[in-house]
Amino acid sequence: MSTHHGKVMDIDAAMSRVPPGTRLMMGEFVGAGEPARCIEWLLEHRIDRLTLLAVTSGLRGDFLMGKLFAAGLIAEYIGTHVATSNEASDAYLSGQMLVKQIYPMGTWAEMVRAGGMGLGGALVPVGVGILDAPGLFPDMDAPKRTIDINGKTYFVEPALTAEVSIIRGWRADPLGNVEFRYTSTQNQKDIAMAGKFTIAEVSEIVPVGTIPPERVGCPGPFVNAVVQGYSLAEQHKLYRDQWIKLGRLPPVDAV
Amino acid sequence: MKPHQDPRVIIARRCALELRDGEVVNLGIGIPTMTANYLPPGINVIFHSENGCFGFGPKPATLGADSDMSNASTEPVTLLPGAAIMDLATSLGAMRNGYIATSVLGGLEVDQEGNLANWAYKRHGKWWPGIGGGMDLCYGVPRIIAALQHTDKHGHSKIRKRTDLPLTGKRCVKVIITDHAVFDVTAEGLVLREAYPGLTVDNIRAITEADFTVSANFGPMPVA
Repeated sequence: MSTHHGKVMDIDAAMSRVPPGTRLMMGEFVGAGEPARCIEWLLEHRIDRLTLLAVTSGLRGDFLMGKLFAAGLIAEYIGTHVATSNEASDAYLSGQMLVKQIYPMGTWAEMVRAGGMGLGGALVPVGVGILDAPGLFPDMDAPKRTIDINGKTYFVEPALTAEVSIIRGWRADPLGNVEFRYTSTQNQKDIAMAGKFTIAEVSEIVPVGTIPPERVGCPGPFVNAVVQGYSLAEQHKLYRDQWIKLGRLPPVDAV
Repeated sequence: MKPHQDPRVIIARRCALELRDGEVVNLGIGIPTMTANYLPPGINVIFHSENGCFGFGPKPATLGADSDMSNASTEPVTLLPGAAIMDLATSLGAMRNGYIATSVLGGLEVDQEGNLANWAYKRHGKWWPGIGGGMDLCYGVPRIIAALQHTDKHGHSKIRKRTDLPLTGKRCVKVIITDHAVFDVTAEGLVLREAYPGLTVDNIRAITEADFTVSANFGPMPVA
């Protein structure tokens, strides 16, 4: 560690790496595990013309990443679903946002993983004979390539990388080691590895040695900046409020 | 003649009877998710969620809901003893590579060859809404149960001779469960196994575009 604080940065310093037009990859799954404060920073600073790589297009109902679409900040989306949020759906259908093609989730995950692991791409059998139908994706750059191995046909899907990746973890130390909780593990680590500059937003910043080595979900060398996000209690409230708003949990009467 | 119960509940209840004790099951969003509420006593399955979990359990109380514990629709869930978390690529690999025994999936249309279409229809001239994990399931899960209403809101059959929509999976559906009938998809085509109590084979034929034969064991759906 070169300094006392190591990779811990204030959010303005870290997010200054995300100018308009950035190719940005973000950890999430239909709204879960999203880097809330970094998203709010993008909204406040109106960082636009972004190419967003994310597995889904967020959670509906004016929530975190979905707001980036509503604010018109996303020029292009690369993922598996254009309508998990109503905001992304509107941006897509109105023609405001480009979507060249839509990927099966496992294909997208392997393309990101290939990007993180230094591979050229992934060979994927899913969707062969379906997703290569002429005219299905008119904005696609080039027809999907295939390769036959042992009598079976696979798509050759190129690796996905980003100029900046933003992931969300539970806690991190100044070396950049990140620990995740439960289903927010997702592919945050793969996304961290696929970004040239990676920001980890966490609920707690803990001293080096706090996270047991076997519980490090994303090793520090894959992270460039650690920023303080909402506390776990604040995050629980954020999600419970949204779940109540969407009718997924009953409201709690104020005591 | 029309069934009296909520069609979604009929489908979910009938799907639940199709699950086998001990198997690993993935439920799609919508009606399939409701299936978990109707498991018969003594049938315990391991529910898989594509965001990265085997063994999730019921919804928690509001104040017990954990923002880092949700299913593939981002509804809050609990984790049962024996649950296992995995990363996304692993979870999708499990789907692709045969580690999930059965998946119940919604559908826009299914046809008599067992082709399922559930990810896209044309809206404003564009294919919409998206694929998610559906194609991975159709590719790799040996038993796909298509759970859908028998007809659309205009009364048109969603059980087609051949669907023109982009497919989610080719020849992947093994069982079709609607609010009116249960079909098995066989090499010889669709076989009508059950109809909603009170409905005849002719009633089913009248609302079904696809060709089908009738099983020797044809009988009423045990959901009344």
